[in-house]
Amino acid sequence: MAPDLDTLVQALTEGEREQSLRIVADLVSGGTLPADIITGGVERAMAALDRKCTAEQFNLLEIMLAGRAVMAVIRHLFPEEAALPSPRANVAVAVLEGDIHDIGKAILKILLAGSRFRVIDCGKDVSTSAVVAAAAQSGATAVCVSGLISSVIPQVRALKPALARAGLAHVRVLAGGATLKQCSASALNVDYVGQTAFDAISYLNAMVEARHGQP
Amino acid sequence: MDSLERIRRTLAFLPCDHPPVIAQVFAHAALARGRSVGDYLSSVAVAAACQIEAQAHYGYDAVFAVLDLTLEAEAAGAEVQFRQGIYPAVVRPPCAPGDDFPRMTVPDPRAAARLPMVLEMAGRLRGACGDEVLVVGLVQGPMTLAVQLLGMEAALFLAADDPDHFLQLLDYTAAVGKAFGLAQLAAGAHLVLVFDPAACPEVVPPGLFREMIGPRLALLFSAFTRAGAVGNWLHIAGRTAPILPRYASLGADIGCFDYCVDAQPLLAAVSDGRLCLAGNVKPLSFVTDDPSGIEREAGQLLRLFDRRGGFILSSGCEIPPESREENVAALVRAALGWKRGQS
Repeated sequence: MAPDLDTLVQALTEGEREQSLRIVADLVSGGTLPADIITGGVERAMAALDRKCTAEQFNLLEIMLAGRAVMAVIRHLFPEEAALPSPRANVAVAVLEGDIHDIGKAILKILLAGSRFRVIDCGKDVSTSAVVAAAAQSGATAVCVSGLISSVIPQVRALKPALARAGLAHVRVLAGGATLKQCSASALNVDYVGQTAFDAISYLNAMVEARHGQP
Repeated sequence: MDSLERIRRTLAFLPCDHPPVIAQVFAHAALARGRSVGDYLSSVAVAAACQIEAQAHYGYDAVFAVLDLTLEAEAAGAEVQFRQGIYPAVVRPPCAPGDDFPRMTVPDPRAAARLPMVLEMAGRLRGACGDEVLVVGLVQGPMTLAVQLLGMEAALFLAADDPDHFLQLLDYTAAVGKAFGLAQLAAGAHLVLVFDPAACPEVVPPGLFREMIGPRLALLFSAFTRAGAVGNWLHIAGRTAPILPRYASLGADIGCFDYCVDAQPLLAAVSDGRLCLAGNVKPLSFVTDDPSGIEREAGQLLRLFDRRGGFILSSGCEIPPESREENVAALVRAALGWKRGQS
């Protein structure tokens, strides 16, 4: 029996990279369009992971295995990142100056790509001015910052004013990571603080839907 | 009743004059004494003096022979980056997934990189505190050191793709922790805190903790007990509710629980009276809150654990270096003013 998109969703959520690639190859040879595999397979797998990974059940290992499978499928279907089918929005991700711990950013990047966002990776230990420049250049609608140590908080607080000074007051700022998630959005001077990377995805999905009236 | 006796009695679930309080103060000790994080990290004499002065100033029940959390990784070959005003971090892991882990050499705590500084610090603290104030050493837990040596992504993928090979890495990291911990006990530490945040259920599933990490933690604790440790302290940050009830069976006497763990259900989950709990005031509150907020949070914990005993008032994780001194003082004040049964 030919594999269907449901089989792909299950293989992706279980982190089965090789199996996922085999299913995708069969789907493509059977005439399924790559864009349909993304929307009907990859995005549904990300939604299934989101439902599974509540704040109490979030598990980095399972997310990374699923993320590895998802990225393998995306790269197989769209070797050039720019060719991703109709990205929902451009989102910049960064770890700000004074912090070099970027595992949270790496996870978020995978989930963003799997949810059809185009990701602009500003790197780690980067200045707010570099993030503002990247947001301006890419037309990002949001900037996500991840932070593990408390000394990075002043840089997070400074980001929104810096964006506003550059004429980018409309760009939403999201924060997360072990230390930043202990703070409120108002204390960090950001639009949203997520307890997990999935919270950020949900916030961005809602933002896109509110702006465009469609998912 | 001195601090060490207070801790010993609490570990035995015996009543004390007041609940013990341990502010997990590392480099904050330096900032509170007018020194910098850099001073603290570069000079054992400064670090030990700051720990002693901060304990005398605040009046909590322990001092820490702790510099930072990269020492074992650095001694095993990791490249560590030092930055002004903050703790160093591993910037280049020394291992690759295909390495022959069983053939790797365990760093000598008396000679490798900065490990001897910690031994000297433990000795200085024990010399100053004698058997009146608890001297706490620290080693990285096996999972956390594995992550530092391989990088988070590579470590987790290896655990999933080649678990037998990953177990060899955990055997190595446990051997590093055992050697370093035993050396700290010999140098003067009363007990060794095993810090393993990468073993948290937010990082690895509880099943992996049970099958792969737990047995190696048990090996560490059994070695420390045989060496005469006052107790064994397991500190895994994050949402540890699913694994905390297992700590006692691994040989831990103290289990730290982070701010995100709900204390009420935890109390029911560890009702057998074998594991002393330490926690769980939110670490960032010491930076952002005020003393009344800290005292309120501490008071709720003291009330909750009043009947059970076996409780050390503490923060959920390290108190950030830049914390407000009046907030640390408020934590201590809450414990000192508490009389058992007052709830």
